[in-house]
Amino acid sequence: MRLIGLGLLLLAAGLFAIFGGDPLGAVLFRLDPGILNLAQAVVQRYLLPVLWDDVLLPVLEAPSWVVPAIMGGAMTLFGWMRARG
Amino acid sequence: MHILKFRRFSLPESQVTPEALVFGRRQAMALGAGMLAAGPAMAQQAGLPPAMRNTRYVPGRAITAEREVTTYNNFYEFGSHKTISAAAQRMPMRPWTVKVEGMVENPRDYGIEDLLARMPLEERVYRLRCVEAWAMVVPWTGFPLSALLAEVKPLSSARYVVFQTATLPSVMPGLRQSWYPWPYTEGCTLAEAANELSFMVVGAYGKLLPPQNGGPIRFHQPWKYGFKAGKSIVTIRLTDQRPVSFWEKIQSQEYGFWANVNPAVPHPRWSQAQERMLGTGETVPTLLFNGYGEFVADLYTNLQRERLWA
Repeated sequence: MRLIGLGLLLLAAGLFAIFGGDPLGAVLFRLDPGILNLAQAVVQRYLLPVLWDDVLLPVLEAPSWVVPAIMGGAMTLFGWMRARG
Repeated sequence: MHILKFRRFSLPESQVTPEALVFGRRQAMALGAGMLAAGPAMAQQAGLPPAMRNTRYVPGRAITAEREVTTYNNFYEFGSHKTISAAAQRMPMRPWTVKVEGMVENPRDYGIEDLLARMPLEERVYRLRCVEAWAMVVPWTGFPLSALLAEVKPLSSARYVVFQTATLPSVMPGLRQSWYPWPYTEGCTLAEAANELSFMVVGAYGKLLPPQNGGPIRFHQPWKYGFKAGKSIVTIRLTDQRPVSFWEKIQSQEYGFWANVNPAVPHPRWSQAQERMLGTGETVPTLLFNGYGEFVADLYTNLQRERLWA
């Protein structure tokens, strides 16, 4: 788990180096302009509209490095705590 | 032994039409019959100036129930789902100004009330075919775009007309997606804009056009897929440059500049051969140019190299 966490932290550092503070959504849009539209249609039409607006959109509006940094930090910490028993 | 025989009229319970839809359909048919019986009836209600129905444009199908049309909407600024009508009510409809600019002799700003008062309003019952393979028939009130063009007088160098939708971040949650190329932009050639079918819509069902349907003013060209029709328009610009529309910037292979209805040319992810009628759920064959070929086919005779159908 610690290894995965460290990998995610490295990914976060890489995203920060490349894209700076650009939102995750903007980065994904740059990589594939149609992917977010498709994802939004699936979520809002077949699951729940507010799931996109209130949950996923805030994530997409955040800088691209934030999600892997949080996940990586949490996994590294959890792995370290578990290793200590 | 009890033997179950399948008869032609047998239907599984799952295919029985819900009661609400049956009564909705009856109401729609009654409304359609009433409107047809009235002939060129006067559409007058709730602030919309009187408008005679233009009987030149016969939809050939029953009018879709108003409730269906006003509660099943595509308006990307409010979301990707169809139930945006409640959220759209937050959009302020007055004051509203439409700026006509660019390659025209008389650029000017029109207040919506000014347009309602000075343009030759009429009612037209048009089919609308969505690129998503659903369709509806709506009695729109509005005026030919050619009437507006005659007033602003396009310069001889103008080739295209571009429509831009309002951007109101405080009421449009979709605008939070800053990576998209807002404002919603659509366009057509000047020849298409001057075609008699091109219609600026300010009302529906004899009432002012509600925000979820693109109020207070939208565009409609019934031979094209619905996404070509800009809603809640604030700018009309004439130019010599072919515009790149909102959807063209995002998915050009799926949503192109011309987007004329053609049942023989499938969308990359689904067939366009048939369409589902809103309200009834009936599936009917899609027609070339959405059935308006006699009015518009001539526009494309020398454009066979273009992607006319997507």
